Amino acid sequence: MTKKWIGRLTIGFVAILGCLTFACAQGDDDDDFSSNEEATTVLDLTQPIAFPHTIHAGVDQIDCQYCHFSAERSVDAGIPPVSTCMGCHTVIGGSDEQQQAEIQKVRDYWADQEPIPWVRIYKVADHVHFPHMRHVAANVDCATCHGEVKEMEVIEAVNQPLSMGWCISCHVEQDVRRDCTVCHY
Amino acid sequence: MFGGTVPFVIIDDGICLMNDGLKRRDFLKVIGTSSAGAGMLGCSTEKVEKLMPYVTAPEEITPGVATWYSTSCGECEAGCGMWVRTLEGRVVKVEGNPNDAVSQGALCSRGHSSVQGLYNPDRFSGPMVRENGELKSISWEEAEKILKDRIQSANEYYFIKGSTGPSLTDLIDDFADSTGGKIVSYNPLDHDPLREASRIAFGREVVPWYDLASARFVLSFGADFLEGYVSPLRDSRGFSEMHSVGEDGFKGRFVFAAPRLSLTGQNADEWLPVAPGSEGLVALAMANVISAGTGDAGPYQEIVDAYSPEDVEAEAGVSAESIRRVANYLVESGPSLVLGPGIEGQHRNSTAVNLAVAILNFVAGNVGKTLDYSSPQVGPSSGPQGYDLMQAAIEDMSSGQVPLALVHASNPAYALPSASGFKEAFSEVSFKVSFASAMDETAAMADLILPDRHFLESWGDSSWRSGQSSLQQPAMRPVPNFDSKQIGDVLLAVGQTGKEAPPSFYEWLRSRWQSKTAADGILEFENFWREALRTGVASSKSEFESSIEALRQTDRALVFDVPEFDGEGEVHLMVYPSARLGDGSLNANRPWLQELADPVSKIAWHSWVEVHPDRAELLGVESGDMVSLSTDYGTLDVPVWIYPGIRKDVVGLAMGGGHTGAGRFADGNGVNPMDLIPAETEALSGGLVHFVTKVRIAPTGNHYQLASIAGSDTQSNRPITPAVSLDDLNHGTEVHSEEGSHGPLKELQAMGGFVPVETGGMPEDYPLPGSKHGEYGDDDEPRWAMAVDLDKCTGCSACIVACQAENNVPWVGEGQVAMGRDMGWIRLERYYEKVDATQAGPLDIRFMPMRCQHCNNAPCEPVCPVFATYHTPDGLNAQVYNRCVGTRYCANNCPYKVRVYNWYTFTDEEPVREGLGHIPEPLNWQLNPDVTVRENGVMEKCSFCVHRIRDAQNRAAVEGRDPNEVVVACQQSCAADAVVFGNIKDPDSKVAHVSKDQRAYRVLNEITNTQPAVSYLKKVTFHEVESEGH
Amino acid sequence: MRNDTVNGSRGSLTHPDIKTMAEVNVDVLRPLSRPGKGWWMLLGLCVLGIGLMLWSWGIQMRYGIGVSGLTSPVGWGVYITTFVFWVGIAHSGTLISAVLFLFRAPWRQSIYRVAEAMTVFAVMTAGLFPLIHVGRVWHAYWLIPYPNSRFLWPNFRSPLVWDVFAVTTYFTVSAIFFYLGTIPDLAAARDAAKGFRKKLYSVICLGWRGTDREWHHLSKAYIFLAALATPLVLSVHSVVSWDFAVGIVPGWHATIFAPYFVAGAIFSGVAMVITLSVLVRKAFGLEAYLTIKHYDAMAKLCLVTSMIVLYAYLSEFFMAWYSGEEVERAAFWARLFGGYWWATWVMLVCNGFVPIMLWFKRVRHSIAALFTISIFVNIGMWFERYVIIVTSLHHEYEPFAWGMYRPSAVEMGIMVGSFGWFGFWFLLFTRLLPPVAIAELKEILPKPMRPVVSNPVPSADQSGDMSNG
Repeated sequence: MTKKWIGRLTIGFVAILGCLTFACAQGDDDDDFSSNEEATTVLDLTQPIAFPHTIHAGVDQIDCQYCHFSAERSVDAGIPPVSTCMGCHTVIGGSDEQQQAEIQKVRDYWADQEPIPWVRIYKVADHVHFPHMRHVAANVDCATCHGEVKEMEVIEAVNQPLSMGWCISCHVEQDVRRDCTVCHY
Repeated sequence: MFGGTVPFVIIDDGICLMNDGLKRRDFLKVIGTSSAGAGMLGCSTEKVEKLMPYVTAPEEITPGVATWYSTSCGECEAGCGMWVRTLEGRVVKVEGNPNDAVSQGALCSRGHSSVQGLYNPDRFSGPMVRENGELKSISWEEAEKILKDRIQSANEYYFIKGSTGPSLTDLIDDFADSTGGKIVSYNPLDHDPLREASRIAFGREVVPWYDLASARFVLSFGADFLEGYVSPLRDSRGFSEMHSVGEDGFKGRFVFAAPRLSLTGQNADEWLPVAPGSEGLVALAMANVISAGTGDAGPYQEIVDAYSPEDVEAEAGVSAESIRRVANYLVESGPSLVLGPGIEGQHRNSTAVNLAVAILNFVAGNVGKTLDYSSPQVGPSSGPQGYDLMQAAIEDMSSGQVPLALVHASNPAYALPSASGFKEAFSEVSFKVSFASAMDETAAMADLILPDRHFLESWGDSSWRSGQSSLQQPAMRPVPNFDSKQIGDVLLAVGQTGKEAPPSFYEWLRSRWQSKTAADGILEFENFWREALRTGVASSKSEFESSIEALRQTDRALVFDVPEFDGEGEVHLMVYPSARLGDGSLNANRPWLQELADPVSKIAWHSWVEVHPDRAELLGVESGDMVSLSTDYGTLDVPVWIYPGIRKDVVGLAMGGGHTGAGRFADGNGVNPMDLIPAETEALSGGLVHFVTKVRIAPTGNHYQLASIAGSDTQSNRPITPAVSLDDLNHGTEVHSEEGSHGPLKELQAMGGFVPVETGGMPEDYPLPGSKHGEYGDDDEPRWAMAVDLDKCTGCSACIVACQAENNVPWVGEGQVAMGRDMGWIRLERYYEKVDATQAGPLDIRFMPMRCQHCNNAPCEPVCPVFATYHTPDGLNAQVYNRCVGTRYCANNCPYKVRVYNWYTFTDEEPVREGLGHIPEPLNWQLNPDVTVRENGVMEKCSFCVHRIRDAQNRAAVEGRDPNEVVVACQQSCAADAVVFGNIKDPDSKVAHVSKDQRAYRVLNEITNTQPAVSYLKKVTFHEVESEGH
Repeated sequence: MRNDTVNGSRGSLTHPDIKTMAEVNVDVLRPLSRPGKGWWMLLGLCVLGIGLMLWSWGIQMRYGIGVSGLTSPVGWGVYITTFVFWVGIAHSGTLISAVLFLFRAPWRQSIYRVAEAMTVFAVMTAGLFPLIHVGRVWHAYWLIPYPNSRFLWPNFRSPLVWDVFAVTTYFTVSAIFFYLGTIPDLAAARDAAKGFRKKLYSVICLGWRGTDREWHHLSKAYIFLAALATPLVLSVHSVVSWDFAVGIVPGWHATIFAPYFVAGAIFSGVAMVITLSVLVRKAFGLEAYLTIKHYDAMAKLCLVTSMIVLYAYLSEFFMAWYSGEEVERAAFWARLFGGYWWATWVMLVCNGFVPIMLWFKRVRHSIAALFTISIFVNIGMWFERYVIIVTSLHHEYEPFAWGMYRPSAVEMGIMVGSFGWFGFWFLLFTRLLPPVAIAELKEILPKPMRPVVSNPVPSADQSGDMSNG
């Protein structure tokens, strides 16, 4: 009986040790960096309006920067103001039921002068600084990071993790600066 | 982790976010993610984030790119021009406006902290009325109706106001006139004696315009012109120009004559520790020396002749010889300048003293040269004010017959001596209205609260010199958390301004300026207006044309002698405005200011009483021991701080402490010295006297752990801040204390270079040939470096707050500071070399703004196990927060001790533990999105504003601008122009030039061979400097 | 070659009280029987200690490292002090078992088991402290070089990375060495035990039968590991000392540090061995095996190392003065007479002056006296590290940045708890493994006349044969 106790005690503390090491092993590499798969799987990311990039970017061939207007001159690509949508959609009402319904939403937002609460899909961690302008200036195609958006019925994070390794490997290929303070400061 | 950085998202500019709660929450989701998601794993995608686009995009705003608005600072009467940095419609920082003649691009600590005034979490959520004791929220309509009815029913009432811009002042005047209001204009730090003296001497009741820059010698009778007085930034700049060594090798001398060394005093080359109240005598004695024979003193010649140095030396406590010496300084080298006693020196004969100073200036021939009475600092337009008005009002109110009182921009219940009986009298008023935007001691007594807007949300103007003004414009939509309304609009809505009233204060302002400019003959008003808003500067004609010719005969009975002090004993109580808070009546609820170590005492948060070492010995107390100070008017318990810079028969106590209802950060810190002094007016000017009573000191036996950042007060024989005497400098005597014979050094460079590389060890030698920095680390990389001129640095500490605002440096709380955990990236060190309060003589106190030296051969780099700190190719000593594990080895190994550690997470909305630093909403709206917000367990330090460097480089790449045009935050805010930053490899750059100066040295380099990128220029003294390098 | 040992040792250390080899097994295996009340109480105490440690650590994880008294400029304190303390303790074990084995020191046999056990457990304790100490323990694994998505390695120039290697290596080697040495005795225990214990032992003794080949391999492996472990005795604590010597902190930056620390480590280690073995000896009545002679030898070792340590102290002060370097001088002046004078004097008295008594034979031969002195030394050596770390940091180059550090309750809790953690494993050891090396002990006993003996225990038999063969 005693011996049993000794055995169990030992096992118990080995277990505790295990937990501690496990605790230490948390914060696995990519958790520090925004992992979009997690986001998409865990969270409800349905957009307020079913905006089809397929039609806008795909069929209509609208340039990305027409809507994401500040990508070339700012760290931030920018989300189009409702007025931009209305630029076309005062005229274009949509061809089928479902389209009309969605476009009507846009018009409603415009009518009550309210912003459209889009759901954020792409976000690098807060300690990473990603200047869009530099990448646009270097003629990096939007698709390189954002995937073939023009083929996405519903916008989604393509299955690259925006992890540091992913950024670095490209910087290595392109042979551009990759010391830490290019992105981290 | 690091949830603090505000993500780059577009948000609606606030219009439709103001009222609706739900939308406000969304607004905060994007704006205030500040550490909401700061979990241990720091996965910032734990919650759905909303992107709020504009409804219609304002064309001047690009998301992620700052928009700047110019306005003028409302913190004090100097009215410095400001540039406000806004991102996606919210204010993140204020900086000096380079177009502005006063600030010239610099800004003081108080100015920087105005952002925390804007986002003060204790601001009123909306208008409130008191119903059976409780304040309850109401709508603006109701509130204004109540006010209207009250005013109509009251046939006469009091309108108590602090200092306001000219246009608002006019509006209030009109309003009061037409509604039977009696205006009581009171500013706790006003200079009534000075203005009265100017009136007597020159017939102009003004505060003259001081021009320190063109003075060759400055004498101050206690005026603390670097920290307060009339225009700290202007005078700091002027002082540094006058006091630093010019190309011709001339350095203006500065003598300070007062019983206590303020920060200004600490910058003096010579100190006359004159006896309390004897400034007037000394001034006259000097005038006596100068005007001996010549009848320069005009109508005052007999008086002047009556006071020879020998007559006054006994009473003044300084030798006649030293008085004569200083008197000669005044005339020997061109125009000089004498500044009168400040607030702390306001005793019962203050006007006479100011007059004596005016006479001295006149006989020294300074009037018209360094003092300008034709377009003075504060013109008569600011109307009647002074404590005497307030006194009358208090008597009237205490009668209980006063039906109504309005209070705006003023907190008399705190700022007035408790002996004045204001609180009692005010409570007698049957209905009390406060326009305070946040709770304070006076608002707490009010029956109706109509929260005014912060000046960053308001329209307005300020006149910083007669004929010179700047406009205030809202830099952002009113903070949606607070339903505020500008007082001007309220008054106009309540109406009855006599003439046909414009619909809004904005209209009022415009129309007023329209007529004003029309009078000045400016026709194109729209252009004028647009320019004025863009540049932030607007000028019109001055009130005065003629200049001063002669002194006038006095029309008052003058007493120049040392005044009576109440109470017995020999210790005089000096109550002085805090260097950080001024009188502290309206701006105390700001963590930045509370945690900023006082420039003189290096103590944060709490109050202290300054005691001379000998006095302390008599009392048997150490620094931190509690003593009870008692006068005939009250008693306070304060911890002692032993200060060699104060006379043995004087103790000093700063204003701004002891709040009881001014918000979570202000309450309970220290004591309010106004409880110790009488409420008495200075006979001639009607100003409140501060330096008027003696005090009894008794140790209580308790001890208080003061939150001081000071380690040792002396350099203990280390060349931290060596100095060089002016003679040695001009005669080219060897002034280098550093880098002697030893030839080229061999260095193992950072980034894993194990190969010794030969180097001269100077900043520009970096990066060393062959050192491993990757293929991109080539020769055309810049080498960022800094140079700091210790001969210019006045120790004002503005850079610390600027850095805090720029780099999201958290405040940690009093307990933590007391432990030594303050997190300022700049540590402003103060070392005593020569301080003697017993006799007149040379004074030498050194300042050292110590920040990361970005060493070429940094001791912190090799010891970091994970490369969290390393050397970038452009020579920065980088700190990668998200890589830091927190071994703290780098901090141990840093000889400068400039690395600060996040002992807790200080950036959450809730404090991690009681009393710790935190950033409650909406304070977190101020966080700079360009800089990562740090969490618990991470080391940090000065980054040379790397985000500004990267921004410049990004712009250079996109817009083809010069990547070297980088200005760092501390450099920008330095009014003394002591800091230079740039690419030292560019031989034409200022920093390269300055670092080559013969006074240049690098701290501890010859001991530790760290090869810093920061060069300091030695202070220049007039006296001989002992022991080489010290 | 094992015969050399035997011959070398024969007569030099006899155990007159021991009659037969059978007795040895009985005596040594006695502790493996059912524990008494006292043992359980001690174990309970240790468990409490561990609880205290985990609780304190929990608080620190919850709120932040700020719950410690650490501050600027003193970024290292009780945690690192205790880390170095335990690493130091760990040393004597390997010294006694490996080095003395190679040098054929005759007196090691009966104590080296205790010493080795102590080593292993001490390293296990020390290993916790770097983790407790860092600000973000959940990222501590970044110190380990492993291929990762970030293309990042640890900084191999940092002594802290060297530490990771030094400590892990030392733990691995000493653990294996310890285990190897116990195998024959485990077999003995197996033969003695029944039930669960029997199963347990038969597993962990790897089915040792004590054949010639087994003995042959064992001794080969043993001497091989001994050779491997010996340099570690010197290297590990040298590396630990470089944590400080590499820094430019006045009071750390000295070339003397490596030998100074190694000597200190052995000093503290031997002291701890004395403390523990005295207790074991008393508790399990092993007076016959742990004789005055052993203690006399250990006391001498103590004396020598204490002299070295004292010399190191003095030379440090001398060099500070001789260098003429203002900063260095100030640092050491502050060490003696500054805010931490008491710690410094505790260190000097306990490590420098108390052990002087060991010059006297009477003291060396009094178990009680030795025990007391060893306690003093343990305390003194903890304070030595405290002095080196804290006093140096609190008074560095920048006068304005000088400051004091006061350990917090949490730190003390963890420090005290670490003793519980250590004690826990040691107590388990006393009940699970023979505290004295049976086989090796028998080697130095006068050999019984071959035909007479009928050994109840095979392993003893084997060892008998072995020593002839």
